[in-house]
Amino acid sequence: MKRIIILIGILLASVSCESFLDMQPTSSANASQAIQTTADAGVALNGIMRSLTSSSLYGRNLLLYADAKGGDLTIFSAGRGLDGLYSFNHSATSNSYSGYWSSGFYVLIQVNNLIGNIERLEEAGGTGFDYYMGAALTLRAMLAFDLVRLYGAPYTQNPSAYGIPEAAVIHSAGSEPGRLTVAENYRQIVSDLESGAERLSADKSHRNGNVGYYANRALQARVRLFMRDYAGALAASEEVIGQGGYTLYEPENWAASWAKQYGSESILELGVDTEADLTTASLGFYYIRYHQFSNAQGWFLASDYFLSRLGEDPSDVRWGVMDSDESVEKSGVERKGACYKYVGGLAAAGDGKETRTAVNIKLIRLSEMYLVSAEAALHASTPDRTLAASRLNAIRRRSPNLPPVEAGSVSDALILSERSKELFGEGHRFFDRIRAGERIEFNDDFQDVPVSGRSKVIAPDFQRIILPIPQDEINANRTIASQQNPGY
Amino acid sequence: MFRRLALCLSTLLLGVLCPAQTGIRGTVLAESDRQPLAGAAVIVEGTRIGVQTDPEGRFSIAHVPEGARFLEVSFLGMQTQRVPISGNQMTIVLRDAGTGLDEVFVVAYGTARKSSYSGSASVVGGDAIRDIPGSGFENALAGRVAGMQVTTSSGQAGSVPEIRIRGIGSMNASNEPLYVIDGVPVSSGDAGQMSSYTYSTSNLLSTLNPEDIESISVLKDAAASSLYGSRAANGVVIITTRTGKEGRPVVRFKASVGFTPSWATGNYEAASVQEQVDMLYTVFHDYAMTGQGKSEAAASDAAISRLNSKFNRHGYTFKARSTDAYAHIDILEYDGSGREGRYFDWNDAYFRTAVYQSYDLSVSGASNGTSYFASFSYTDDQGRLRVNSFNRYSGRVNLNQRVGRWFELGTNVSIGRTGKSGYNDTRNTGSNSFMQTRNLLWGLYWPTDYKTGDPWTARYGSYAQNGVYYDTQWSNDATTTDASITETAVVHFFPGLDLKSVLSYDHTSVLESLYYSADHFNAASVGGRIHEMRTVSETLVSSTTLNFDRTFGLNHVGFMAGFEAEKALTDFTRTTGENLPTSALHTVATAGTISGNGYRWGHSMVSFLAKADYDWDGRYYLSASWRRDGSSKLSPETRWGNFWSVSGAWNLTREPFLQNVNGLDLLRLRASYGINGTLPTDNYGYMNLMSYRSAYMGNPGGTVITPVNDSLTWETNATVNGGLDFTLWNGRLGGTVEYFSRNSENLLQDVPISMVTGFSSSLMNVGMINNRGWEIELHGDLVRTRGLVWSASANVALLRSRVLSLSEGKDIIWYDPTGSDDRAQFLYREGGSTLDFYGYDWAGVNPENGKSVYYTNNDNEDFVFNGRSATYDYRKADYTVIGSAIPRASGGFSTRLSVSGFDIGADFLYKIGGSLYDGAYKDVADDGYYWERIRARSYYQEMWTPTRRDGTQPALSGMDLEDSMQYTSRHLHNASFLRLKTLSAGYTLPATLTRRAFISRARIFGNISNLLTFSCYKEADPEVNVYGTRGWETPLGKTYVIGVELQF
Repeated sequence: MKRIIILIGILLASVSCESFLDMQPTSSANASQAIQTTADAGVALNGIMRSLTSSSLYGRNLLLYADAKGGDLTIFSAGRGLDGLYSFNHSATSNSYSGYWSSGFYVLIQVNNLIGNIERLEEAGGTGFDYYMGAALTLRAMLAFDLVRLYGAPYTQNPSAYGIPEAAVIHSAGSEPGRLTVAENYRQIVSDLESGAERLSADKSHRNGNVGYYANRALQARVRLFMRDYAGALAASEEVIGQGGYTLYEPENWAASWAKQYGSESILELGVDTEADLTTASLGFYYIRYHQFSNAQGWFLASDYFLSRLGEDPSDVRWGVMDSDESVEKSGVERKGACYKYVGGLAAAGDGKETRTAVNIKLIRLSEMYLVSAEAALHASTPDRTLAASRLNAIRRRSPNLPPVEAGSVSDALILSERSKELFGEGHRFFDRIRAGERIEFNDDFQDVPVSGRSKVIAPDFQRIILPIPQDEINANRTIASQQNPGY
Repeated sequence: MFRRLALCLSTLLLGVLCPAQTGIRGTVLAESDRQPLAGAAVIVEGTRIGVQTDPEGRFSIAHVPEGARFLEVSFLGMQTQRVPISGNQMTIVLRDAGTGLDEVFVVAYGTARKSSYSGSASVVGGDAIRDIPGSGFENALAGRVAGMQVTTSSGQAGSVPEIRIRGIGSMNASNEPLYVIDGVPVSSGDAGQMSSYTYSTSNLLSTLNPEDIESISVLKDAAASSLYGSRAANGVVIITTRTGKEGRPVVRFKASVGFTPSWATGNYEAASVQEQVDMLYTVFHDYAMTGQGKSEAAASDAAISRLNSKFNRHGYTFKARSTDAYAHIDILEYDGSGREGRYFDWNDAYFRTAVYQSYDLSVSGASNGTSYFASFSYTDDQGRLRVNSFNRYSGRVNLNQRVGRWFELGTNVSIGRTGKSGYNDTRNTGSNSFMQTRNLLWGLYWPTDYKTGDPWTARYGSYAQNGVYYDTQWSNDATTTDASITETAVVHFFPGLDLKSVLSYDHTSVLESLYYSADHFNAASVGGRIHEMRTVSETLVSSTTLNFDRTFGLNHVGFMAGFEAEKALTDFTRTTGENLPTSALHTVATAGTISGNGYRWGHSMVSFLAKADYDWDGRYYLSASWRRDGSSKLSPETRWGNFWSVSGAWNLTREPFLQNVNGLDLLRLRASYGINGTLPTDNYGYMNLMSYRSAYMGNPGGTVITPVNDSLTWETNATVNGGLDFTLWNGRLGGTVEYFSRNSENLLQDVPISMVTGFSSSLMNVGMINNRGWEIELHGDLVRTRGLVWSASANVALLRSRVLSLSEGKDIIWYDPTGSDDRAQFLYREGGSTLDFYGYDWAGVNPENGKSVYYTNNDNEDFVFNGRSATYDYRKADYTVIGSAIPRASGGFSTRLSVSGFDIGADFLYKIGGSLYDGAYKDVADDGYYWERIRARSYYQEMWTPTRRDGTQPALSGMDLEDSMQYTSRHLHNASFLRLKTLSAGYTLPATLTRRAFISRARIFGNISNLLTFSCYKEADPEVNVYGTRGWETPLGKTYVIGVELQF
């Protein structure tokens, strides 16, 4: 009643219509006022990190992409979901997996908004933004790198082909940006990484769940390897190995490391707590055995090829996250095709948080740096086979029954095979093989699942090794309409 | 609408002029039941002398001036009569409003007589909407008003139809009309949050008891609606609740009960189990032969082995009688399961004969300046789905008191409470029972494991879940309570000048709870989950108007000016509990982990309004209105806007040259032009917002969620309207012909923008739409004799709805938002219709090989088909406009026959022309293989096979073709239909009989909803949603109701 009387008072007086009409939201704020201090920048950075955990990005699909397409995975049955990645059944209108595109650029605008605000504040004399700027530049490079790998020709195949539109600017609503070349994209990525490293270099401490200096350098190692800039890759990876303060897991601790957050190998780890938990849609659920838990659909299983590779040593510690898959029900033969990396290992008890699926995503691990170093050393202008062998063997120790590799016999094949075993499910396999120019064979015969988007074996020049630009983008962007990837 | 009893002709025929006299007496009766009407106004025409009838319907006027020739008798909801003064004992019979031209009806900020109203409006009497089963009044409006489209997308109990008045005027903002109850604009639509979880909505207007409604006015053109300004562009629906009528108290009791044993039509009926098995065998056979190059015999073995691997677990095994792809498959018992020849009937397990019941008790009356109406009602409406039900309790008191000569106070208090258990009937494999029975659940699946007898808890191979078990493992309930108080004070300064102030407070709360047990697949990973949500809205509306109304000789002048303010605030809280210790307690309090959320939103508006009316001798009418709105939904720079209208009418029958034309009661022309608007749906759409819903590892995280647009403004509608009203032969035939053209500009549109900007769309004011068309309403008495009246009415709307311009001329592709399943693709293109379906041009099936053929509509040409470039690969074809959902004509017609107490009525609904897009058939007619789902009988009967080369549906293939999933004309159908919406019958017992039991009126009635449907499209119900599409929503049922109504 009191409110009514007050309202009547306001109405009768008609003092201020404008204040009566001023209604503000309570769950969000006016964005133009939102970043003023370093604490605000931290909030924006948190928003970016959280956005990266989305199922379309590093929370799931961006990692699944390279594994589903790399031949180390197979499917038991069509229709369980995301099998279009495996079958390459893409077109601009269906199975375009446009979430990569839309979520990727959504996070990029967040990053660019933060960078733009910091630039504005620094111009006005603000200080203390180095970390946020460095992290933002690094993340922009990381996203752009992953997007251009999805949509643009591999750098090593055709750098003058179309890549992605300019990732380092805010495109205003209504603009219709066209695609840059792959080479232009990589130029920006490298430049962002370098200026990011500069900003981050003042404080090289480890930052659990966030981007630190060494995460930037590790990313540089990854990017430069993909660009065949072996000297750069070697320098970056060796810096991380030598000065980063990270240590490799002992073989006996390797499997258990998946049940912990922020292990000694974690250079960049994305925090997934119960708020960001994708539960039954989490990456973890996509790999575990069909119906082990309700709604586990057994989406992806290790292929016969991966199992025989890992089977080179039945005591390989990396069997420690593999377990029997559903095929046993049919064949009666146990087949360890189900992977438990992302549910906290075989116990499926998570990595210390409340649910088994609120598990951090380990985006860059030290073991990858060892293998980058090995590959880069092998390909350096003056190859360092001893270093290559030592870096490879540091990881190969995880197969106790396999002898160390001699310096003379280090090869790309051995390194790639080790990457497959070590980084299974971590989003590398497809790109490793594309980079190496290998043909990729798929284990379609496992359950005779019909596949219509490709043949059983694909060559590195297969057109669908990159995704179509989604139809919604084509519809809204006349510039890009004529820049669709060939074959779509 | 029509009442049933014969008109007392004597009254009308008393045309003999009586000499001037000093006193007259008479009685006023209602035509429908011959009961006296208390409180009717009887005025001597041309004077200010008037009285009200007493409780027995009697009136007397002591001194009638010399020269007075006519009485004017009016009563709200009845047609006003102009009756020659004829002696001392006049009997005046008033007809119900709704069909006639000269009724008093409620319009924006007042009442009007139809004969003097220059806007476009239709009235539906309360009688037309009572008796009809359902959760609200909206359903009963279907087909009643020309140009008003009422469509129901879901047959769930508690679902609410969508209403469109005069087409589609908006792309992004609401197309729903504004609802006004007893003079107060109210919120409508979904007030709860459950739709984000289960697609079940909690609709505010469902709390209103249809029995409480006296009349509904539908305002269509700008002259009628512009006084509601920035919210009026989609028309206005004014609901007036009942008031007491002068006389002794009337107690009314009504009870009805109904049954819905079946759907209104067939809906994607599935092929038999045998046919399904044969088809799946064909699919596997083709995969092995075509896909893997196996021999026919090996392919047959492979197919049988795959059938076995899928269905052995359910206790079946298979044998092919031959090795060819179309072999007959024997379905045999496996592992001693005892299931041979027995299949589970999922339809029977999921659906029921739904029971509907409704009880209504009211008392009303008026005396000594007090009028009152009080009611209480209870309605229970089961859905055919076992998990769906709706109920409502509602009560209302409408009280009006005159205080002295100057002052009048009215109070309307109403409380309505609805309870609803809804469920997700979108395209959802896990929970949509309807979709499951048509597309996913094989008769070979059983809800129990044949080996153990335990409930089958694993997902079936088709991805369906076992609802028989899981429906016991979840629950959802929504309770919507709406309490509203409207206080009206009127000060009569002197005759003709009134000050009216209305203050309304409305309190709505929606309590929702959604529970999944730890055994339910949705919450097993978290050990059970419960959401409890509370959405509380408060709305305050205050309006004050000064009304002046005066006659100077032949000049009549009316003026109104006013001020209105409105504020609506909503508070939302949600708590979620996970890891529940016991399935017995469904509360957050017991949960292991508790999380929550809560925030507020709202909007406000300030308005000034004015209106002026002038008429001369009841012959020429002029009217103008103006409203200035300021809205919180727009930025301070753009928030104020002016809305206005001008209109005029010419009553030709008042002209000397038409005065004595035989049989012509009324002929009137009217025209109007005006501007009104539509506000954005979003409260903060103009702001560039940073949301803090992105916490990262326990710390707040912010993300920019909308691109900025502070130039955002309302949509503007400019409507021109012309109409002709006529009545012939003493009201035997009447009607209205209208033409309108409505230009909607500055359309709010989520313009798709390049996703490279970070967003997929931006809300902008772009483009222009035109809706224009003709509306014709006719009504008449075909037979009118003493004791028998046979009446009929019909209406038709011929609508043309075009997109005139778009942002930079760019096409916009959009999808039917219903159920968020993107079931149909549309195109906005300049010059195209507002509901143009956009997809591949399917040319049918090649009789040579059974493959789907597409016309490419571009330079690609794999071969020529019917003289056009064609391909088997839809990817090589271009999308094109394949049809429009806008019908050529739509409307309804009704007929009533009443004879000696019996009445029979039939209401039809029809649509002629236009297309509908079947967004569900893709699932049940997949010619490729995706998962082990079942197919429709129609597909089985029409699919191409080597022995059925004229099959209209493509041949089965073992590949995942994706073809059926595309937007193609294969799923496009002619949308024309005719439906007997309601067939009703009633009998009013003779009063002489019932009086002895102190019952003044007793009526028994019955009706059947959706009894007959005739359509070109046979696969499912042709009455589709406002977008002209069909998806997996629950179909409409066929409901049989009987009831009794007693009046004491």
